[in-house]
Amino acid sequence: MVIQRVGAVLDRIGLESVRSSPLSVFFILFSAVVIFFASQFPSSDGVGPSFFPIAVSLGIIFFAGIDVLTGSETELEISEFDFKPAAVVAGVLVAYVLVMPLLGFLVSTMVFMPVVLYYSNIHSKLLLAVLSIGFPIALFYIFGRIFLVRLPEGIIPVSRLLPQLPLVVTF
Amino acid sequence: MVVEYIGQALVNLADPFILLLMVGGIFLGILMGSIPGMTATMTIAVLLSFTFTMEPSQGMILLLGIYGGAVYAGSIPAILIRTPGTPSAAATIFDGHPLSQKGEAGRAIRVSTIASFVGGVISVFALMFFSPVIADAALRFRSPEFFALAFFGLTIIASVSGDSLTKGMVSGLLGMLVATVGIDPVTGFHRFTFDIPELLTGVEFIAVMIGLFGIAEGLRKYSQGINSGNDRVDQEITGVFPSLSDLRSIAPVSVGSGILGSFIGAIPGAGGDIAAFITYNEATRWLKDSVPSFGEGNVRGVAAAESGNNASTGGALIPTLTLGIPGDSVSAILIGALLVHDVNPGPGLYQEEPVLLYTIFVGFLLIYVFILIFGMLGANYWARLINIPKSHIWPVILVLCVIGAIALRGNVFDAWIMLGAGVLGYAMRLRGYPLAPMVLGLILAPIAEENLRRSLVLSGGSPTIFLTSPIALVIILLGLGAIALPAVRSIRANA
Repeated sequence: MVIQRVGAVLDRIGLESVRSSPLSVFFILFSAVVIFFASQFPSSDGVGPSFFPIAVSLGIIFFAGIDVLTGSETELEISEFDFKPAAVVAGVLVAYVLVMPLLGFLVSTMVFMPVVLYYSNIHSKLLLAVLSIGFPIALFYIFGRIFLVRLPEGIIPVSRLLPQLPLVVTF
Repeated sequence: MVVEYIGQALVNLADPFILLLMVGGIFLGILMGSIPGMTATMTIAVLLSFTFTMEPSQGMILLLGIYGGAVYAGSIPAILIRTPGTPSAAATIFDGHPLSQKGEAGRAIRVSTIASFVGGVISVFALMFFSPVIADAALRFRSPEFFALAFFGLTIIASVSGDSLTKGMVSGLLGMLVATVGIDPVTGFHRFTFDIPELLTGVEFIAVMIGLFGIAEGLRKYSQGINSGNDRVDQEITGVFPSLSDLRSIAPVSVGSGILGSFIGAIPGAGGDIAAFITYNEATRWLKDSVPSFGEGNVRGVAAAESGNNASTGGALIPTLTLGIPGDSVSAILIGALLVHDVNPGPGLYQEEPVLLYTIFVGFLLIYVFILIFGMLGANYWARLINIPKSHIWPVILVLCVIGAIALRGNVFDAWIMLGAGVLGYAMRLRGYPLAPMVLGLILAPIAEENLRRSLVLSGGSPTIFLTSPIALVIILLGLGAIALPAVRSIRANA
């Protein structure tokens, strides 16, 4: 019965409008999941912890629903975009963050940089060397040694081999 | 009292390190603003991590230097290659580029520098004059008024932030939803934490901002072709000072646009691009008999747009510092920068951190003086920055995004949040969703929720508390109007 009703509503909306606004449809489904989880929060006197997430999710369903129904004219010309380079760079970024706890910030950045630089059509060996070795070391000193940020060291803490700064810089 | 604070601010600013940060920030801002596609928001989001261990005043001066420098420098590629360096320089193209085509690019850049200085300085004075008044009035605000303010901020931001009201609202609401992750401020219940300890304190919104403005923009750039739009500038920019006749010609329009731009900038959501278009439009309306005509290389057109967009920078800080409501996406990040140091923007800031505030005011004034000097002396060099290939810059930015997220808590988990936000932001950009409302939703949601719930506790659960407070009622009605007006306009346009 419920499935038939949903089907009837979908027929009325038209599958085309759902196809043309995939992100809005995703947001609607995501909000429905949020409402499901939030409805299991404990109730309390007055407005409980579930009120705000449910109210906000209903708002998303409402506005994203309008977007699906009315169609959208504000989308960028997607045909002008090539998704492959973005997917490759996103994939390399994921791999970079994934291996960072194992290799440490310094080594993983030294591996990440030449890959992305080469993919960005930089083939000058000098530039590749400076940006792949010099830049990570400079960042390591700025964040790790001056700002005292706890950067991942990895299983083999190669960064400890780097000399200490001659001056103590504090803010 | 104010004189005393200004005196202390001057002492702070005399510190060579803070001066170095100021100058460095301006140079970085000019560098990134001169390169099309590198916005002030993105630059500040990516470089925010450098301020985490600094004093709040040092960090703010660095970020404000980048902000002012980037907004100013956005005009340089707008004039030379008809591509705005930052969105706020879009209106500068109308008269700036025709001047460049006539071989008068130097003249246009010099006029732009003077107008940027005038607009920026006026906006800082507006900030200094109006902020204490608004903060003083807001000290009397209680929970209903603060909820109303947050509601107003969210609605008006969604209504002015893009072509689509519905997409703007969805984006803002998504930001609000993300902000509900973590420990419930009233009951202490763990919401959407899924036993992940890093989520107990909520999603680090700075990581989300870095992802939205850094990674998403980077992925978009790679999608478009990393080396596309690499224009070359070979035109020589000679001379340092504008002519006396140009100065006379642009003086009234620069001052007028500076005043108007400051007010527009103070409206939450109305950034430099809107300010510049409105001030340019007003200039064409008031000075329609100008020779040459607007759009054909009139220096007054350049002055109106540049004074307007730079004036919005100080204007945007008025609601940011006095109410905790960001004036634009850059000031949303500045709120993040202050929160990292446990400094809460809002009406209490005047009582808690008056010296910090006046250091920001006087420092911002000084930043515009430096921009004037650097703009005049270095125009020829800034123009060459356009020639830097973007393929050299984006890999560096991507690494800065990652280290920026990790530096927040020394935790790789925040890098995952940042990457997730980046991929989501990329998909949203492609489907026409504006990203600024999401960031503002993230910031405004805790204010809205806490004050909504506190108000309802005060009223015993009755929502009439928002109707009995005249200020809250007016603000809520304004918020509803902010949604209704564009909706009605859109329905009429489609009819």
